[in-house]
Formats: sequence, structure tokens, C-alpha cells
Amino acid sequence: MTDSYTAVGKSFQRIDGIDKVTGAAKYATDLRFENMLYAGLLRSPHAHAKVTCINTSAAEKLPGVKAVATIFDVPKVVQYWFFLRTEKKKEQMFLHDNIVRFIGDPVLAIAATSKEMLKKALSLVTVEYELLKSIQDPHTALTETKVNIHKKGNIAFKVNKEFGNVHEGFKAADIIVENTYHTSKQKHASLEPIGTCVASFQSNGKLTVYSSTQLPHWSQHYLAMALGLSLNKVRVIKPFTGGAFGGRCGVIHGLEVMCSYLSRQTLQPVKMSFTREEDFSATESRHPMTIRMKTGATKEGMITANKVEILSDTGGYGTHYIGVIADCMSTGIGLYNIPNYSFSGTVVYTNKSPCGALRGYGNPQMNFAQESQIDIIARKIGMDPMALKLKNYRREGEMDPVLNELILSNGLKECLEKGARSCGWEEKRLRQAGNDLIKKGIGLSIMLHGTGAARALPDPGSATIMINSDGTANLHTAAADEGQGNRTVLAQIASEILGIEFDNISVSETDTDITPLDCGTHGSRQAYCGGLSVRNAAMDARQKMLNHAQKYLKVEANQLIIKNGHIIEKSNPDNNISIKDLMQKIQIQDMGVCEQVIGSASGIAPAMPGYYGAVFAEVEVNTQTGRVKVIKLTSAYDVGKAINPDMVRGQIVGGGVMGIGFALTEGLQLKDGHILNPNFTDYRILRSCDIPEIEPIIVESNEPTGPFGAKGIGEGSMVNVASAISNAICHATGVRLTELSITPEQILQSIKNSR
Amino acid sequence: MKKKNIWMNVNGEWHDLTVTLQDRLIDTLRDQIGLTGTKEGCGEGECGACTINLNGKAVLACLMLSVQADGAQVTTIEGLQNGTDLHPLQTAFLTESAVQCGYCTPGMIMAGHALIKQNPDPDKTTVKTCLANNLCRCTGYEQPVKAVLKAAGEMRRKIK
Repeated sequence: MTDSYTAVGKSFQRIDGIDKVTGAAKYATDLRFENMLYAGLLRSPHAHAKVTCINTSAAEKLPGVKAVATIFDVPKVVQYWFFLRTEKKKEQMFLHDNIVRFIGDPVLAIAATSKEMLKKALSLVTVEYELLKSIQDPHTALTETKVNIHKKGNIAFKVNKEFGNVHEGFKAADIIVENTYHTSKQKHASLEPIGTCVASFQSNGKLTVYSSTQLPHWSQHYLAMALGLSLNKVRVIKPFTGGAFGGRCGVIHGLEVMCSYLSRQTLQPVKMSFTREEDFSATESRHPMTIRMKTGATKEGMITANKVEILSDTGGYGTHYIGVIADCMSTGIGLYNIPNYSFSGTVVYTNKSPCGALRGYGNPQMNFAQESQIDIIARKIGMDPMALKLKNYRREGEMDPVLNELILSNGLKECLEKGARSCGWEEKRLRQAGNDLIKKGIGLSIMLHGTGAARALPDPGSATIMINSDGTANLHTAAADEGQGNRTVLAQIASEILGIEFDNISVSETDTDITPLDCGTHGSRQAYCGGLSVRNAAMDARQKMLNHAQKYLKVEANQLIIKNGHIIEKSNPDNNISIKDLMQKIQIQDMGVCEQVIGSASGIAPAMPGYYGAVFAEVEVNTQTGRVKVIKLTSAYDVGKAINPDMVRGQIVGGGVMGIGFALTEGLQLKDGHILNPNFTDYRILRSCDIPEIEPIIVESNEPTGPFGAKGIGEGSMVNVASAISNAICHATGVRLTELSITPEQILQSIKNSR
Repeated sequence: MKKKNIWMNVNGEWHDLTVTLQDRLIDTLRDQIGLTGTKEGCGEGECGACTINLNGKAVLACLMLSVQADGAQVTTIEGLQNGTDLHPLQTAFLTESAVQCGYCTPGMIMAGHALIKQNPDPDKTTVKTCLANNLCRCTGYEQPVKAVLKAAGEMRRKIK
């Protein structure tokens, strides 16, 4: 079957590759327009304060200053897409009142004719604050009643669910393991800083915004709401984007609204670009969590109960806090068939930089805790962790109790078997390798992550395909490509169905005036959800082509197939017409028709299928310095079907490296609300000299609801790396680490304590 | 603000420029000459996205003043291809799937370009060390390292 594909399953080069290697690709930071103004923000130096007075008169007197917008006058309706349905939760968003809730919270924006003038103007503004008591510790936020970060209090969200009966589950257990885990405030650190946009409001009342957003259509929606414009008057264009990883999934931190407001004041294009320091210190990060977990199992290796209590810290504002904690629950429960499971999650506000979506979306935190617990149980009952996982994982054909959906594909067993064989798991696991100074170990962790958000959110996807008179095609999709390669993958799907060569399919830029509604790029959804939209649009166009061909080939459409750019009668291949000739006829030559074949599709995906993965991490631990060196990752992921294998491997390797960072080096450090490491020297992401060998293994379980069997990969590839590394450290040294990131100090202390 | 006239040869073309003493080379390239292929990722010399070649050496355009480049030969990513023919480094970055979001790519390629000029036959460790100045958040580095090695081989073959 696979062999018969002409485009699917082939590692075509990315369609935007040449633009990227020649420097021609324009990112939002590269855009310049005539009469463009430069805007910037004045940010709060206080973690929690009331703004009582803003004096801008000196700044406004400067000749190059064109507009000023303080938090008192920028539009207040800034909502996130979760809430577009409900009209609730407005009070939790940025810029909504005169309170600043973290160091870096915007207080005002200025637009000026040059960057120098802007800098000068910002320095002339004086702001008076009435200081409020700040809350830094999430546990304090939970109990503090006198200080409320938001009107409704410091608790943003609570969830409690029980499946089965954990009390009974623990009674049935032979051993019970209980630990508390802590995870860090990881940053996206995309190479193009988060927060760049150019807004241009024209005198005809139309607003055009170029923004490096992951959610162009939702940006359009909330801009329209904030500025009181109808949707047809708001055009959002997403230029090339320098990485996202969830960081452009928030409300872009009020930036788009601020720029648009300033542009409306001046009728000039207004550009704002956050600096790297602003990116680190004032844009969203991963939710740090405290996870208490109690897990019970029989000595035969049946996990009988798991009790989870999570305290999640969303910082001063919340965009994704509900989704993130819900994902902790669904991925934790979905992965293993544990009959008794209770989950309680609490999200609190603190006066720290806000948290949002970051690759994995709660799953890496949850996975670190749960996969550590499973590993501890395996050690305690003397069972190979892989055997324990194989005994308890939730199989194909079982129900996912959170999504209430049947699992239609699960290639986890194959991931485990292929990965284990490739890395030599059994042999390495049995052998206590290394010497007294350098101890070697190998650890394993598995994961499940959902594809898309069909069961959780309004998650529309759409596509339009126009077949040209020369037999080529133009695909219009708003499936924003942040670098993963969606546009290439979607062109492959269209090519396969239309029988039109890959090179003859052009894919549009994302532009809400042209591309139909798509909820954007998040949740590893574009190969699957975007793929389904494109598949359906292509099938629509294909059927229309076959219908037209009936007339010229004198056979019913159901007797026709498309192959290599030709429409062919199945039983008589000599009776055929090329797509090009057919399009020429129906568009131009046949005056009675004059029709362009246009295929379209729009809707929500039929499912939210889980994709699975197993990571085997090999490490060396220096017992004198505490330094951990990752030697190799063997990362096997079930992606359903790899539409473009090279791009899938790119996601696995890239996610692997981000996962090592989450395990060992990354995390924002805060003191009294100040971020101490807002730069690449002090916030260490891995460099080329740091990387181990990473062996990506693709497993294809063929998801029946997916386009050509595909499901996701983007986020999952980093989810279970930290837990695999931590388990490997334990295998090497016998010490269990419960806090991310794992520092040499922690390791030395743990080794000391264990003696 | 005090201004100065400077000359700079950028991608084979001489430019007569008026800059202030504070102007960074990256801004002159991007804003005055319009060559936006050189990217800014941090502005502090930590990420390498703005790597260009100056008199054949890899330098960071965000850490250099334009006046320091007076009289210099500058090559940016836009100067590598010959008409529509891509430079072997550009081709290798494509064929090795070394590009994802592409924001670090110009800097990576220019770092590789200077390296191969100095050392036409670098080994993997040399390339990894060279690219250690260039942060990438998408690829995990494996593919860019392979691409530079492949391009170096390709360029040696061409010379022979």
C-alpha cells in the first residue's frame, strides 16, 4: 500500500526552504513600511502595584512622538479563544485595569518616528504606583486571603475527578510509593523573540496586522472585539515565524491590541518587537508545578491506584491554565489503565511572569512525576520497568476515560520493542556499568499526547484548493507553519489525492482575508486536523474533476481514477485525459462550462487521537562533580503515519534536545519577582557541542481517523525525555531526583544523603 | 548625533553610507541596505543569528559598530548564491533537512562558510564546536552539523 503512494511518506524538501536558506524569507521582525512608527512598552518595575498616575506630558512634547496609549486608555476586551464561546473570564487578561501583576507588566506604549526617539520618550514618562503586597510562592497564594491578585481571588481554577475508587485501590496494593515533584519555569526560547507585530490601520477603517502568531484567526477575533471592528475589517497576516513552541499561542501579550490601537490613533503603520530580555522576562513560560503523587501496585506489577494532587502556578495572568491542568489529567490517566485514579488540580495566581502554552502543555510536568513513580515501583518489586509498562499501558481497543473515546491506534508496544532492541536495553539495564567516579545508567519513559483539541475546544480547520487551467493547484490554508513544515506536509496530502505533482502545488501564506478559518497551530494538530481539512478539500476537488471528465471520456465518474496527472478509465487505461487538458477544456475552451474546479472543506476533526512514544536515555553521572552527561537518546514515536519522515525525525530530534534542556539546564530563576536569567548566557539552552547522539525511530500504527493514518508528533517528542533521563540517573547512581531541572548540586546532595 | 561616512563592500557591491557612531552593523545592513536575511535573536552576542562574514571571518553583526566595518568586505546570507544557483552550504541545509523555522539558518550557514574557508576539511567535532556559537531551538543541531560537513565535502570536490 505504502509503495503505491507518490507523495505521502516521502521526505520532500520543505516548500519554503529556498526562501529560508537565501535570506529571502521575511519574518515579522523584517517588515518595514513607509511612514512606519516604532512602538515600545514601559513595563512595571513592581511585582504588584496599583498605577495611580501616569505622566506622559514630557514625552508627548518630543517632536517624534506620535501616539501614547496607557493602560487607562487601551481597549479592555482582550479575550482568549477558550473564552470566545463563553464571554467569561475577561477579568483575567492583560491590560484590563490599573493593577500591574508582575515585573514587566505593560503600563503604557508609545509610538515614535524612530527607535532612538522611542527610547528617549519612554525614559521621560513618570509613573506613580501604590505598592501592594506581592505573592511569590504558590502555596502562599493558596492560603493568603488579604491579598487578591485578581478580583475573584488567587485561585484561578480547581478540578477534582475520581475514576474508580482510590481508597479501595490502595487497599489492594502491596506497595505504595508517595513523592512530591517540582518542575521548573521553562521558556520557549524560540530564536525569533516572541512578540513582534506590525499593525496598519487605514483611513477606510480596515486594520491589517502582521503578527508572528500561532493563531491568526483567533488573533483576528479578539482584535475585532477589542477594537469594536467587524471581522471583515480585520486582516491578520502571519509572515514567516522564527519558532513558536506554544509561545505565540497566548494573546501575544497585548501586543497586537496595543499596536493596533496606536495605529488607529495615527493612521500610520506601527511596529513593535520585543527584545530578548522582554521575551524571557515578560512573556509566557511553562507552568511550574508541585505534584504530589501516591501510587499503589501489587507485587506482580499491576498498578492499582494513583492519587495525584497538583498545584500549578500560572503567574500574574492566565491564558492556558485550564487546558494545561486538564492535559496533566488526560495524559496521566490515558497512558496507563489504572483502575482507580483520582486527580485534583489547583491553579493559583502569583505575582510572577505569566504562564501559558509550551510544547507538551502540562504533560512534561505530569510525565516526570508519573514516570518517576512507575520507575520506583519497578525497582521496588524487582521488575524490568519496560515489562511493568507493557503490563499496564492502555491498549488499542480500550476506552480513554477522560476523552470518552475508543483508542483506535496505539503503537506503544512497537515503540518499546524497537527502541529496546536498538539501544540494547536489556543488556545495559542488567549491567551496572562505569566505575566509582563515572557511573553509567539507562532509563526509560513512555508518553501519550493528544492530537488536536477536538474534544476540548472549538477547533475548526479548513482548506480550499483551486485547480488551475494548466493542471497545477493552489492550496489555501491557515494552518500556520512555525517551522515544523505543515505547509509542505499539507501539499503532500493534496498531491497524493489530486494526482498532481508535489512541485505543482503552491501553498498560500496564512492571511485571514484569503485563507479560510483555522484555529491555528497548537496541540500537534496540523498533520492530523490540517491534514484532514486538506484531504477533504482535495477529495472534493477530485470528485469535481472526475465529474467533468465523464463528459469527455464517456464513462461514469465511478469508473475513473486519477494517476500521474491523468484521469483514467479503470478498465481501459487508454481512455484517459490529462488533468491539464481537462482543466483547459472546462475553464477556457468549453464556453458552455467556463468553470474552475475549487475544492473546499471545513469542520472539526472526528477525534483527538493519542500518539505515543518511548524514550531510552543513556547517561553518565560524575559522582564527584554531580555532572550528568547524556550519552544517547533512543526515541521511538508512533505517529500513525509519517507523511514526511524527515520532518518527523526533525521533530523527534529537536524535541529530544529541548527535553534534555528541561531535564538538566533550563528554567527561569526568580527572586522577589525579578527574573535573574533573562538572557542566553544565564538561561542555558543546549548548544551543538552539548548534544548527544539521538536516534529517532518512527513507528506507524495507522490511525483510522487520520489522513493516510497520520496523527501528531510536535509536542510529544519532548514530553518524556526528562523523566527518561531522571530514571537513567537513578539506574546509574541509585538516587532519585524529584525536582527539575536536575542540577549537579542536587545530585551531589542526593548522593551524600543516600550514603 | 555625530555622523560619519563609511564605505563597505557588501556582497560584492560597494556602499557609501552615512552612519552614526552608535549604529550597529546589523542595523546598517538590515535597515539602511535592506538586507534582512541577517537576523537578530538576542542583540547581545549570545545566539549567533546575526553571524556574517567580515573580511572572511565569522563575526556577530549585533556586537559590531558600523564604523568598525569601514572599508571592510562583508558577506551576508544574500551574497552566497550565484544567480539562482545555490551555494553548496545552502543546498546541503535543504537536502539534510537542517532547516526548520529558518531564523537561525542564515547565521549557521555564514558560520559554516567562514569555517570551510579556514578549514576546507573539518571533522565533525570541529563543526560542532564552530556551530556552538549558533543557537537553534528547532533542529537539535544534528542536521545542521551534517549539512556543513556535506557542503565542505561538496566544495572540496568542486575545487578538484
